[in-house]
Amino acid sequence: MNAIALATRLGATPLSRPEPLVSIENLGVRFDNVVAIENLSFAVRRGEFVSLLGPSGCGKSTLLKAIARLVPLASGKIVLRDPNLRIGFMFQKPLLLPWRTTLDNVLLPVEIQLGGSVVDPTDRQRARLMLDLVGLRDFVDAYPHQLSGGMQQRAALARALISDPDILLLDEPFGALDELTRELLNEELIRIWQSADTRLHTVIMVTHSIPEAVTMSDRVIVLTGRPARLIEDIDVRCSRPRTPEEPEPGSIIKRIRAMIRGGR
Amino acid sequence: MRSRIQAPLIFGLLTLAAWQAIVMAADIPEYLLPAPSVIFANVDRTLAIQLGVTFVEALAGFLIAGVLAFGCAIMFVRFNTLEDGLFPIAIAVKTTPIVAVAPLLVIWLGTGWWSKIVAVILICFFPVLVNAVKGLKAADAEYRELFQTLGASRSQEFRKLRIPYCLPYLFSALKISSSLAIVGAIVGEFVGATQGLGYLIMVSSAHLETATLFAAIAAAALAGIAMFYAIGWAEERVVFWHSGNME
Repeated sequence: MNAIALATRLGATPLSRPEPLVSIENLGVRFDNVVAIENLSFAVRRGEFVSLLGPSGCGKSTLLKAIARLVPLASGKIVLRDPNLRIGFMFQKPLLLPWRTTLDNVLLPVEIQLGGSVVDPTDRQRARLMLDLVGLRDFVDAYPHQLSGGMQQRAALARALISDPDILLLDEPFGALDELTRELLNEELIRIWQSADTRLHTVIMVTHSIPEAVTMSDRVIVLTGRPARLIEDIDVRCSRPRTPEEPEPGSIIKRIRAMIRGGR
Repeated sequence: MRSRIQAPLIFGLLTLAAWQAIVMAADIPEYLLPAPSVIFANVDRTLAIQLGVTFVEALAGFLIAGVLAFGCAIMFVRFNTLEDGLFPIAIAVKTTPIVAVAPLLVIWLGTGWWSKIVAVILICFFPVLVNAVKGLKAADAEYRELFQTLGASRSQEFRKLRIPYCLPYLFSALKISSSLAIVGAIVGEFVGATQGLGYLIMVSSAHLETATLFAAIAAAALAGIAMFYAIGWAEERVVFWHSGNME
């Protein structure tokens, strides 16, 4: 299986591509005696939208947390091209602070970076811009409990975007929402990723939905269950916007499904 | 809102009327059970002054206890060693009955204000400490991970996450302590005082002035209720976001 993965990666014309922004090299993560991730290697290049696909509890989220330095590594390493790379993280839950308005929630990363000093009007302006971008223009002064689940997650996206992350890590960002809202937000996420209003370029997203991974990403990295190992690294080169019903994404979806069902 | 006040008011008045009727019909002697009308006749300036004394003692002790306990809670959560070492001592202090300690307070601090205020502090401190420690630890691990990804310092995590998150817990503790504060002040006054509701209760009971005794009891109850509702009023304004969907 690793041989297939390696072949896929080598076959993908490495010379024509920019050097990796993040390289994961022989990564291993362990919780007490449970091995969450074992001997995992792959790289993400600047500008890519990469999905990590695998069954629930396979260690995908742990991998994302490892990249964000939230969990210690047992072996291997994660190399960032620039150690000062800004990493944005968006969780499955919105995690808005209920005592803050939408605008103040979006400003939280700015406040934390500033330490003690006061948030200036430019930052406020920027926060408003981010809220415009995610479609919350009219809810700037609302409190989280006044927003629907989808709107809360939009606010969380605005908060993740405000500090201009070089890499945005998304942990099943819309997984807790209903199917319709989820599809809509997935489309908006792609729109924002493609738009010139943010400097957002590189995205690593965890998902357990094959159609979601294929319609959204440039590359789908398929992982096995615990411990997480790489089964295959698939380039998705169809034009955007895509739907799972179209023949080309459709065939990739079928291929991945067969791969996962067919076992490791 | 209207029915929330109306219903208890009507029932309260009916109870008082029944009380009045029974005392008059059965001709119960005043020293056993005075009629409400006789008790109301005993509400005078002296009672108001005694109530004021007790209320000030209770309020001062309550505020000092609140600040001390919240400060301690922050230190406990920030430095676990402190919690491990001091929490058992706090429990030991809590389980000692305040009535048993009150005479000692009078020996140390005299019969003035401070013996009562310290009694109030002792009785109010613990509920606030326990709830505040619980509240400061209540923010989900995911919230703390969010703060970690944002590069927040420990003190930023406290100021922007843990302390606001703790406020609903703090307010429920303050409500409990607000009624205990009056108890502490009166117990302190029982042991050695020259003024206050506790003093009035002791003196009027010794002289079998039952109507004055009842008036003092009612005043003590009212003081407790007033403090409880004042905290509730503040709570609705400060943690207005809590009634919504906290995660």
